[in-house]
Amino acid sequence: MVVNHLFSLSITVSLNAIPMLPSLFVIQSVVVTRLSLLSSSIRAFVMVPQQGIKLAVYLVASYFGDLNAKVCDCLLRRGTLTLANIIMFTDLSGVNVKNCLLVLIHHNCVQAFAVQEDGAMGKLPKVTTKYMALFDNIIHHMRFPKFIEIVSNELGKECEEIFEGLLQHGRLSLNQILDRIKQTANQGNSAEDSVQDNFHKLVQARFVERCPAPEPFLAPPAEEKSSTKRSSKTFKVLETIEQLALAAAAPLESMRFLVDDTWTNPSEEKDEETSHGVTIGQKRKLDSIESDDVSLLADGKKEILWRVNFEEFVRCLRHKACVENIRRRMNVEAGIVLEAILELSRKSEAKVKTVNTVPLSVNAIYDQVIKKEAGLGMNLESTRAALGQLGCEDAMLGTDDSFSIDLKTIIEIAQNEEVESIVLKRYGREAYRMFRLLSRAEHLIETDKIADTTFVEKKDTLKLLYRLWTDNYLQMQKVNVPGAKQSEFLLWKVNKQPLWENVLDEMYHAALNLRLRIAHEQEQEKEILQIPKERLIGELGNRYKRLVKVRIILESSLMNLDGAILLFHEF
Amino acid sequence: MNHSRETSGLKRKKPEPDVNRFLTDQDRAVLSAIKKKEDTGMFKGDIKIETKLIDRDLNKALKNLESHNLIKVVVNIKNKTKKHYVAVEFKPSKEISGGVWYKDGNLDTEHIQKLKYLCSIVTKKAATLDAIHDLLKKRAEPDLKKEQVSEILTSMVLSNELIEVKSTGYGEFHSIPIGTLCYKVASAAGIDKGPKVGAMASIPCGACPRISKCTPDGLISPSTCVYFTKWLDISF
Repeated sequence: MVVNHLFSLSITVSLNAIPMLPSLFVIQSVVVTRLSLLSSSIRAFVMVPQQGIKLAVYLVASYFGDLNAKVCDCLLRRGTLTLANIIMFTDLSGVNVKNCLLVLIHHNCVQAFAVQEDGAMGKLPKVTTKYMALFDNIIHHMRFPKFIEIVSNELGKECEEIFEGLLQHGRLSLNQILDRIKQTANQGNSAEDSVQDNFHKLVQARFVERCPAPEPFLAPPAEEKSSTKRSSKTFKVLETIEQLALAAAAPLESMRFLVDDTWTNPSEEKDEETSHGVTIGQKRKLDSIESDDVSLLADGKKEILWRVNFEEFVRCLRHKACVENIRRRMNVEAGIVLEAILELSRKSEAKVKTVNTVPLSVNAIYDQVIKKEAGLGMNLESTRAALGQLGCEDAMLGTDDSFSIDLKTIIEIAQNEEVESIVLKRYGREAYRMFRLLSRAEHLIETDKIADTTFVEKKDTLKLLYRLWTDNYLQMQKVNVPGAKQSEFLLWKVNKQPLWENVLDEMYHAALNLRLRIAHEQEQEKEILQIPKERLIGELGNRYKRLVKVRIILESSLMNLDGAILLFHEF
Repeated sequence: MNHSRETSGLKRKKPEPDVNRFLTDQDRAVLSAIKKKEDTGMFKGDIKIETKLIDRDLNKALKNLESHNLIKVVVNIKNKTKKHYVAVEFKPSKEISGGVWYKDGNLDTEHIQKLKYLCSIVTKKAATLDAIHDLLKKRAEPDLKKEQVSEILTSMVLSNELIEVKSTGYGEFHSIPIGTLCYKVASAAGIDKGPKVGAMASIPCGACPRISKCTPDGLISPSTCVYFTKWLDISF
C-alpha cells in the first residue's frame, strides 16, 4: 500500500513547485524513498506495530504472569488462532492454555468467536472456535489511573470504588460488586442501595457496559455466482473477520447500558444465542472453552456481567486533548466554548473518531458556557468570537445557524505538533522550520524553494533534508530536466501516513523503555524498599528519596507519552 | 563674465573610449561567451571549455576584461570557492546571488533578524500583512517590498514565533474585516513562546539516534542507557 501510494505520487508531480523550468521540457522523474527500498519488510511493519506488540506482551506479563504473556504474544504475532494452534505454537499444555485464555477473556484481552469451516475430504463443514487478542484493550491497562481519575472527578469517590473493582477483576455481576464492596468497606445491607445507585450512575455515564457475547458465531458469507465476485468477497471477509466477530459479540446498543433487566432466564439466553447464528442440531465446537458473559447462580438463573467501557474513556480523553490543544493554541475562551460544545454533544457521538460535533445553536452553547465556573465572565459576543476562532465563520457574522466544530482537524494539528517537536529535538530549529513547511504544504517542494522560505543557507538545506530523508521523515523525488540551466531538481514531501505509523511505533518502544526503566530502578533499590520507612535515614534516606522522585518522573512521563500514543492510535 | 565663468566651468565631454581597440581576439571570445550566459554568468572552467583557450591565455583575457570593467567576479552561493564571471551590464540571477536575502554569497542574517524583530514588535496586536508592510516601510525601510514582508512573516510562523489568526471582528480585531488573515506574536496571544515540547520529545528516547538498536537485553538497553541516567540525575 505504501509503495502504491508513492508510485502514484511520482505521477502527480506539482510543476509549480519547480522554479524556472523551461516551458518545453521532458521530466524524467525517479521516486527515491527509503521506504520503497525496504518494500516487503516495511509493509509488514506498517501493518503490525511491532513495538506495540512488545509493549502489550510486557503489560500482560506484568499483570497476569508469563504464561498469559506467552499466549498473548502468540496471538498478537500470529493473528487469530484455534486452541489447538495456540497449544502447538506456545508449547504449553492444553490446561495451561485454556486457563490463560480464560484469564485473558475475563480481563477483556482476548475475544473468542466461532466460524464455520469447510470439512476436509468431503466431510461436513465444522464449526471452529478461534481466539483473537484485543491489542487496544491490552494497552488500555496502562491507562487505568487515567480512567480512575475521570470517574473520581465526574462521579465521586464511591463510584470510583466500584469502578476500581471492575478494573481489577475485568468482569463482575452486580451481586459480585455488592459483595466486594461489603467485604472491603465492612458495610451492612443499608449501604446496598447506595452501591446500586452508584452503579446505575456509572452505567448511565456509560463508563460501564454489559459484557460482549462470549463466542459469537459468524455465519459463512453467501456464495457468489461469479468467480471474480467470490474472490473479492472472500478477500473482504478475510480482512475484516476480527471486526465482524467484535461486531457480532457486542451487545445491542439498546441493551448495552440497560440495568433494569439484570436477571435473565437461561431459556432467553438460549434464544439470544440462536439469534447469533448457531442453528439447532449444528455440530458443537470441539476446541471451545467455557467462557462467560453471564454468571450462573445456584438456582439456575444467570446474572449479567459488567465491564469497563473503554470506548467512553477514550472519548473523554479525546475531548480533553482537543480542549487542551485549543486552550494552548488559541486562548482560554475558545477552550471553554469547545468544552461546552463537547459536553453537549458527548452522548450523541456514535463513534470515538467523530469528525464533526453535532450542530448546536449559539444560544445552547452559551447556556452551557455560563454553567461553567470559568465561563461566567463570558457573554454572547465573546462566545461568538470564540466560535469564530474555532472555525465557525458564520458565528462572526451574527447568524443563528447551528455550529459544528471540526474535531478531526484539531487532532491532526495536535499530531503534527507532536512530530514537529520530535524533529526539533533531533534535528534542530532549521530542520523544524523545513519540516513544518513541508508538513503544511502537503505537496512536493524543491530544495531552493525550501531554503528561501525557511531562511536557511542553501547548502545546509540540502544536508538537513537529506538527514530527514535517511531517517524516513521525508520522501524525496528527483526530477531531471534535460537542456535546462540546472538539469536535476530534488523535490521533498512529508508522507504522513507511513511516518505517523513509524512515530507511533517509536512511541510504543519508548513507553516500553520507560516501564523497563521503572522496573530497573525498583530492582536496584529493592533492599531499601524492604527496610521500614522510619529506619531510612542518612544515605539510605537519600536513596529512598531519589527512588521516589525517579518513579514520579518516569511515571508522569509515561502518562504523557500515553497521551501521545492515544493521539496517534485512538483519536 | 558670468557667462564666461559658466562656460569655463563646462568641460568638454571626453569621448567614450573604444574598448574594443584594446581587446584581443581571445578577449573578445571570452567576453562573448560570458555575455551569452546573461545573468547566470559562467565559471572559469566552463569558459575554458567553451573558448578552448589554454590557462595562460584565459587568465590574461579575464584580467584584461576585468581591468576594462567589462566583466565582474560574483560569488556563486552554490560554489563560493570557484570564480564566477558575469558581464557588467547584468545583475547576477537569483540562482547565483541567492536573491534579496543574500549578501556577498551569504545569508544576510543581520538584515533578516532586524526585520523579524520589527515584525514581532508591530504584531503585539493582531495585524494584517498590509498593515505590517506599511509600518515597516514608514519606520525602517522605505524600499521594502510586500513580498519580502510576507516571506519574513511566513518564516516566523514556521518557527512558531508568530501565529496566523483570522479576524473575528471582535475586540482587537474590531477594525479588521471578519475573516481577514492576521499575524500575532505567539507570546502576546497567551501562548508560550516557541514550539510545544511534545511528550515524546521530552524523554531521552525522543531524541535518541539509536532507538532502533535499543532492546531490553541488548548492548543498548533502557536499564543501562546513559541518556536515561543523565536525564534522571539532572531532573533532581
